[in-house]
Amino acid sequence: MSRAGSRRPSACLVIAAALIAGAAPFLPRCGGTRPVLHVYAWADYFKPELVARFEREERCRVVIDTFDSNEAMYAKLKAGAAGYDLLTPTTYMVSLMDSQGMIGRLDRGRLPNLVHVDPEYLKLALDPAMDHSVPYMIVNTVIAYLKSRVSDFQPSWAMFDRRDLRGRMTMLNDMRETIGAGLKFLGYSINTTDAGELARAKEIVVRWKKNIAKFENEQYKTGVASGEFLVVQGYSGDILQVQKENPDVAFAVPREGTVISVDDLVIPIGAPQPGLAHAFINFLHDPAVAAENTTFLSYLCPNKDAYPLLGEDLRINPGVFMDPEVRARSEIIADLGEANALYTKVWDEIKSSR
Amino acid sequence: MKRSRLPLAVTAAVLFFFYLPILILVANSFNASRFAGGWRGFSLVWYKRLLHEPDIWRAAGNSLLIAAAATAVSLVLGTVAAFALYRFARSRLQRLHYILVYTPLVAPEILVGISLLMFFVAARVGLGLFTIFLAHVTFCVSFVAMTVLARFQDFDYAVVEAAQDLGAGWWTAARRVLLPMLRPGLVAGGLLAFTLSIDDFVITFFVAGPGATTLPIRVYSMIKYGSPPLINALSTILLAVTFAAVAASQRLSRRVPEGSG
Repeated sequence: MSRAGSRRPSACLVIAAALIAGAAPFLPRCGGTRPVLHVYAWADYFKPELVARFEREERCRVVIDTFDSNEAMYAKLKAGAAGYDLLTPTTYMVSLMDSQGMIGRLDRGRLPNLVHVDPEYLKLALDPAMDHSVPYMIVNTVIAYLKSRVSDFQPSWAMFDRRDLRGRMTMLNDMRETIGAGLKFLGYSINTTDAGELARAKEIVVRWKKNIAKFENEQYKTGVASGEFLVVQGYSGDILQVQKENPDVAFAVPREGTVISVDDLVIPIGAPQPGLAHAFINFLHDPAVAAENTTFLSYLCPNKDAYPLLGEDLRINPGVFMDPEVRARSEIIADLGEANALYTKVWDEIKSSR
Repeated sequence: MKRSRLPLAVTAAVLFFFYLPILILVANSFNASRFAGGWRGFSLVWYKRLLHEPDIWRAAGNSLLIAAAATAVSLVLGTVAAFALYRFARSRLQRLHYILVYTPLVAPEILVGISLLMFFVAARVGLGLFTIFLAHVTFCVSFVAMTVLARFQDFDYAVVEAAQDLGAGWWTAARRVLLPMLRPGLVAGGLLAFTLSIDDFVITFFVAGPGATTLPIRVYSMIKYGSPPLINALSTILLAVTFAAVAASQRLSRRVPEGSG
């Protein structure tokens, strides 16, 4: 037996063993016969106790993965990532994905709880027949302010013209939201594609820009909680959470109307467990479940039979349940396709103006 | 002669710049306020909440598992690659090999991520922890190979040949001579691979499949919609563990020469 001959294979064996040991944890594990529902959603978007209840009732396991932006989720699925049963994109992304044939039709026979969905909301929805999407959570764009420091608050976009609050206000750093505020102030649709209307809205937003501290998407919560900012444009769900910490914060929907953002529940084409996905959608629209979820998340599930089950603080809050007239003037942001370029141009001009 | 104060000032400024954000993070993890709008009193509420977040711990477990496995495998493959690159440096094949090993170091992450995803989809490999592991090995191998190769380049291979002349078999020579001399390179490469793997976001985001969320992906999605103070608490724990590990390893490595000397 040659010495070298006996040594070399053993070195190869060591390498092979290391490779196998490294890969071993990932080899398919057996056992666990319960079906698994794979949900791809925003972080912390379902009350954990409710998910556990669904797992018990349906004898399944729910695995939730999270994404941080509609665009990242879209890029990933578009490149071919599969295996998810249920997604929670925002409406404009739902219409884009639907136009690309990425979303499956819903089987209404498996969704008896959809009779509870608020018909007032469906009047505004992009998919009012709930043919491929079911609304899950709604949030209103509102104006929040500090009660003790802002005198004579008016629920109007005109607040951003107030000279006495100069430099102590923020608006969202979001093309559609902020131009949308200008459009609503003038009484136009937030989904307009009329160049003249957009030009007039641009002038308004440029005027506001000179009066506010900055365009801001995250820090405004901290800012208004600490009193650094006195008036901020923000989302009702976030402001409700700020209120828990600083009760001096109040908010209102501008009377000219506002933007309503909705995340929908959709089942992607090729979902491995469409049956469980339907069951989960139906479960989330059970009025008691919807009410519990709404209370946990501070967003509003548009389920009319859940409303009476909510706490009084939410039920009589006009920032959450809008006045019918104001709601009639409010809209959901739609995907405008090629007309998006118009908005991008106006937004660039606003951002570069002095 | 008076010594210049400049080096001291620069050191202080650099330390300030590097460590102040971390200190603020640690302080805020004990802040009762959710929005860090100001100091609202010392509180362990975020640490308590962290105990009841199984998703975060599952993600942390996934990250550790992948990092450990990717480090182990890329250490072996990377060292073998470095050996080949060093021993047969003049062959045309090895020059091609060098380019192949070098490319992942300079390729933009987003490109690597999306092309790996498209490859896995085309090859019908189900996305999950295993694909993340494969993706991490692909970039970790390059880092290990380069660090180990640097170590190879400043040692005299004649030492190994001398060992063989004195009767050591190939395996004994590798184990008793080669490996101890490569050890600093192996340790550095392994630590580098582990660090890169545990905090990779871009590539991981694309190749992760259902049920395979790692800690960076979880943290990133929480920044927008979850509770940022939970992230502060988690980061503080990770920092404490890292510092403890570094301190322990320095202790141990200091003791060895004293004991043998």
